[in-house]
Amino acid sequence: MNRGTQVVICRVCSEGAGLLDVDKLARVASDAPGVCSTVVVERACNKKTVLEIVDDAMAKEADRLLVAPCSKKEISPALFQTYAKKAKMNEFLMEAVDIIGEVTLPHRDDPTRVQPKAEAKLRSAIVRINMLEPLQRTEERMRTSNVVVIGAGAAGIEAASVASAFGLHTVIIEKSEKKIDAPGVVMPKSRLISAKGHAGNYILTIEVGEKRETLECAAIVVASGGDWREAKGPIVDELQVAKPLHHLEQEIGEGRLPGGAIIILDTPDPKGIRTPAQDFMWEEALHCATHIRRKSPTTEVYLVFQEMRAMGLAEFDYKEASELGVKFIRYDSKKPPKVDTKNGTRLIVTDMAQEETLSLAFDTLYYASVAPNPDNAAIAVALRIPISSSGGIRRGSIQRGPVATPRPGIFVCGTAKFPKSREVARLEGKAAGLMAAQFAAAGKWEFGGSVAEVTSDKCSACLTCVRTCPYEAPFIGIAGKAEIAIQMCQGCGICAGICPSKAIELHNYTDDQLSAETAAYLGGDF
Amino acid sequence: MIVAERKPLGEIAEMIAPYEKVCVIGCRSCVAICLAGGEKEVNMLVSAMGLLNRRTGRTQNLDGLVLERQCEKEWVKEVEDRILESDVILSMSCSLGAQTIGDMYPEKIVVPGLNTAIFGVPEEQGVWSEKCLGCGDCIIHTTGGICPIARCAKSMLNGPCGGSSDGHCEVNLELDCAWYAIHERLKLQGRLELMDMVRPPKEWNTSHSGGRRVIVREEARLTSHQKRATEESQ
Repeated sequence: MNRGTQVVICRVCSEGAGLLDVDKLARVASDAPGVCSTVVVERACNKKTVLEIVDDAMAKEADRLLVAPCSKKEISPALFQTYAKKAKMNEFLMEAVDIIGEVTLPHRDDPTRVQPKAEAKLRSAIVRINMLEPLQRTEERMRTSNVVVIGAGAAGIEAASVASAFGLHTVIIEKSEKKIDAPGVVMPKSRLISAKGHAGNYILTIEVGEKRETLECAAIVVASGGDWREAKGPIVDELQVAKPLHHLEQEIGEGRLPGGAIIILDTPDPKGIRTPAQDFMWEEALHCATHIRRKSPTTEVYLVFQEMRAMGLAEFDYKEASELGVKFIRYDSKKPPKVDTKNGTRLIVTDMAQEETLSLAFDTLYYASVAPNPDNAAIAVALRIPISSSGGIRRGSIQRGPVATPRPGIFVCGTAKFPKSREVARLEGKAAGLMAAQFAAAGKWEFGGSVAEVTSDKCSACLTCVRTCPYEAPFIGIAGKAEIAIQMCQGCGICAGICPSKAIELHNYTDDQLSAETAAYLGGDF
Repeated sequence: MIVAERKPLGEIAEMIAPYEKVCVIGCRSCVAICLAGGEKEVNMLVSAMGLLNRRTGRTQNLDGLVLERQCEKEWVKEVEDRILESDVILSMSCSLGAQTIGDMYPEKIVVPGLNTAIFGVPEEQGVWSEKCLGCGDCIIHTTGGICPIARCAKSMLNGPCGGSSDGHCEVNLELDCAWYAIHERLKLQGRLELMDMVRPPKEWNTSHSGGRRVIVREEARLTSHQKRATEESQ
């Protein structure tokens, strides 16, 4: 089967930093065993170039493709797919070597190391690609085409609307009792308890009031939203009158504008970690400040923040706010603002730019704080999807798009990931609804490929894989040995790594393949 | 199962330092499952020793292999050639495996790669706890199914002692008090009267205190005739 490897060397990523000798890389490739064609192109991620590469692959009868130097994260999977289809190549025989991320950037201060390391990486990647097996995926029909949306916020409702416009049956699970106007079934006062099964056939256990119900669905959209966290930080604790920013938004929404002087204060992370929530709060604070100054010019508005970064269109808000006379005070994290307890309603803050200590009299203090939904952790555990350190649901790889999670058929949108404006949340809801609907409406789905497999003879049924797998893929079969449910397997390799009996291997990441790759990288001495 | 832990790499390196040909032998049974001496750990040790030797510039021939059960002579016999070829055997099994090889090839030097620790229960992935000391005279039917010999630091038969506080042991506050656990279990089962039972001193001669124990099951033994036949067939 192993006919030959086509190595494509892309100039745009090689010469970007000016540290790589592309022709030398090409010579390394053409001298390597198993390589039947080496092509140097200007830009591999260009449709026209892809067609040229395909012609070359067909002419040289290559059955494997290696693209270097390419950032695996940024290469378009669509291009790989087009390539696979046109050149009739197995998708598991195509790889990219990330020389930029792993060689050029880390060694930019010591350029002498770049070329030899890049060559070693290329050699080891060629050894690896020559050893890859052409794996196949399996197809299965879905049992249902229902789409379940968790959360009936702006994003969730949008997702359900899009999915039901697709002609699918949608169910929204909402924890509050609020009245929701959305298509399909809405289950208020309900929450997700657990999930079994896999894409196309997820079986969810839902708590509705006091009862438990089972729901079958093909795809799930997580739109669990965010949470307005109550008092945070010493100042807010000290000041009984401080209110969270969303109260101000509510007051503005109801047409009640605060008078006198107001301060909007940030609530930075105590560990100094910058989170997307802070950027969002800054933009929300800008919106409120602009609105108040426009409608009620006599109200003094101070924004007291550690960081002021107006991203994208928020720059206009910042400009407008400063024109309207909103006062910005940036402070140093080492000199946090204090409340003057003697006079009660004064905030003492040192302005970072002027290095001047100000004493601001105010009537109301709002604190800008938003946190991810605390229920996210339970949802992530139930659906076995990852959660970020700031408590939001994490999306999968960038190749799958911004609303996909690592698990097939589960999508995430809106503030469930991190705080964002209603408009963006709604757009994401639309995207997630569409992705989920397309997935569910297909009626069948593909799985397998680079998944784990057990060699029964070596298995001692010690249950280590069963206990360790985050996706519940391994189970003990009728023969009393471990087996892998490949629908559940995400190809993470944890079981293969931990198996005490070395009975499990991950296809295309076997010990032999990894050792040969490492040995080639170290120059054969391993 | 038997739970063991690998000795520190430095200690292992020191033990095998004088020898040129080292045969590292693991075991696929208990010590594989407790992630101490299976195929994976043998390969890792061979690699680690190879790296160490490379750094110090010495050559040492390291041969790694794994047996189904190192405590059984038949499995050991399978790799006799490789054992005889080597200068030292580094056993990555529990001490039973190491001693089996040592008894079979008394002229060979066998060094232990693992510290054999406990009869343990896997409480969760990566955690094993001691629950039996092998005293040879089980009494857990009178103690709510919890062994005070293994689980009480003082192996008390009539507990708890005065050092039990809030369910913890005075020997180490991170340990649970076995007798507190026994009381809770008996309460749950409605058998608290067993707490009042006075357990007389135990017959410790069934334990290791009576000297090395050998279990003989006469009905399972082969007759001298059968033995001869088996030996001949081999």
